[in-house]
This record gives sequence, structure tokens and C-alpha cells, in this order.
Amino acid sequence: MTKSSSPISPDAINRLVVDLPCGKKSLARARNKVMKFARDHDFSAEAEDIVLATQEALKNIIQHACPADNNMHLECTVDHDHMTIEISDIGSGFDVGDVLDTPAEPMASHGRGIQLIKGIMDGVLITSEQEGTLIHMEKKRYQA
Amino acid sequence: MEIEVEEKEGYHIVSPVGELDIYTVPLFRKVVLKLEGDRRHDLILDLSRLTFIDSSGLGSLIEIWQKLQSVDGEIAYVVSNPRILKVFKLVDLDKVFRVFPNLGRALQDVGVTGGYVDEEFFSDLT
Repeated sequence: MTKSSSPISPDAINRLVVDLPCGKKSLARARNKVMKFARDHDFSAEAEDIVLATQEALKNIIQHACPADNNMHLECTVDHDHMTIEISDIGSGFDVGDVLDTPAEPMASHGRGIQLIKGIMDGVLITSEQEGTLIHMEKKRYQA
Repeated sequence: MEIEVEEKEGYHIVSPVGELDIYTVPLFRKVVLKLEGDRRHDLILDLSRLTFIDSSGLGSLIEIWQKLQSVDGEIAYVVSNPRILKVFKLVDLDKVFRVFPNLGRALQDVGVTGGYVDEEFFSDLT
């Protein structure tokens, strides 16, 4: 049998879905799960960036969304050269333009979360409406 | 997270150990801002044993920097973990904070003014 050039085993579970109570205590649990998933799929070099982006996206829900069902939904998927993380809630939403278009001043008291996500991930798309928010993030696999 | 506080050469040296994030920031702020009342000492935040920092942790560092600035206090940061330095650079804090690679250098050179990073040292790590 010819060995595939892909680092991902055909038997590997390439999708992780986690639902978490909306609260600070859920963050460490989410970080641990995403870190393990990233490392299991040969994204070790990118894992810390991915974990920080996940933390910031979940914090955004905790601090601003107040979802009616008290739930934070996290999905991670991998293909040959990308890992995708989607974080969603059914909270009240927010003005995406406010957070995407205005980088925080170095000494501002807040507003660095989205700036960090944009700085460490290769793609970020945020959609937010009255029914909730979806933060879609992508990270390319490091090519040595 | 654990927080160690030492007094050395006129400085309070505060060393958070572990993760500085939205969950642990309240304890960190409480410890550091309590020290702020003691104006006999300036401050060195030794972040060399931090394993993780998020935007809330960064916000707490900025708040402390601003409070020290407002009373003309000295403050410096020790960062030996390239991961933490990368996060500083992502939000341009390396241009404002005085960042040293180890405590000895911080105690030796903390009197320099303005943003400072020992680029030669960190170039080997980043």
C-alpha cells in the first residue's frame, strides 16, 4: 500500500465539536481540547496561536454576547493544510465594523482580542446579527 | 496561578506563575495594585514563568503601567518566553514597555527611558 503524503491519517477524527457553558471556567477546558486536537493533527507549530485565538473568541462571547441558552459552540476541522475554528453563540450580537476596522491603541484599556486574532490567524471572518455571532478563523499548516 | 512578591534593590518584583488570563487577572490586579500603595518601591513584573497570556492579561499589564506612570514610578518587565514576547509585539506593547530578557538585566538597566527591548537577545528566540 502506498503511504499517503498527507499527515492526516484516513482514520483520524478530523472534526471536534464542543459545547460549553458560557463562563470563564470553560476557557481552560476549551483550550486543552483545542490544543490536543491541533497536536493530534500535526498542527503543533501553530497550536499556541490557535489556542490563543480560540480563547479570545470565547472571551468575546463571555464578555459581550450573553447567549440566551448560556452555551458557547466550538467546532474545529482540519484538511491537508488548514485548520478551521468556528465559535458561535445565539447572543445579542454586536457591531462587527467597530471591532474589525479599529485596531486598539497600544494603551487602550480594551479592544485587543480581535486584534490578536487577526494578528495570529491567516483568515478571520466575523458575522454578527441579532440572532447571534459566528467567528470563523483559519490557520495554515506551517511548511518547514 | 501563583504570584510571588520579593523586595530587591528598592524594587518590588512580582512574578506570576502560570496563566495570566481573564480568569486569573482579578487576583493579579489585587496583588499588584495593593503594592502600589507602597511608594517606597518601584516595580518589576517578572513574567518569565508565565505560560499563557490573553488580551485580559495584557490589559492588566497596561493598567498597572498607567498607574505607575501617573505617579512617576518606575516599571519594567522581564520576558524570557518568546511566546509571550510575540503577543507583546502583536499589540505593539514592546514599543512602550521596557522589556528585559532576565531579572539581572532588568535590575541593571531599568533606569533607561522609553520603550526598550533587547533585540539582540530576543533575535535568538523568535
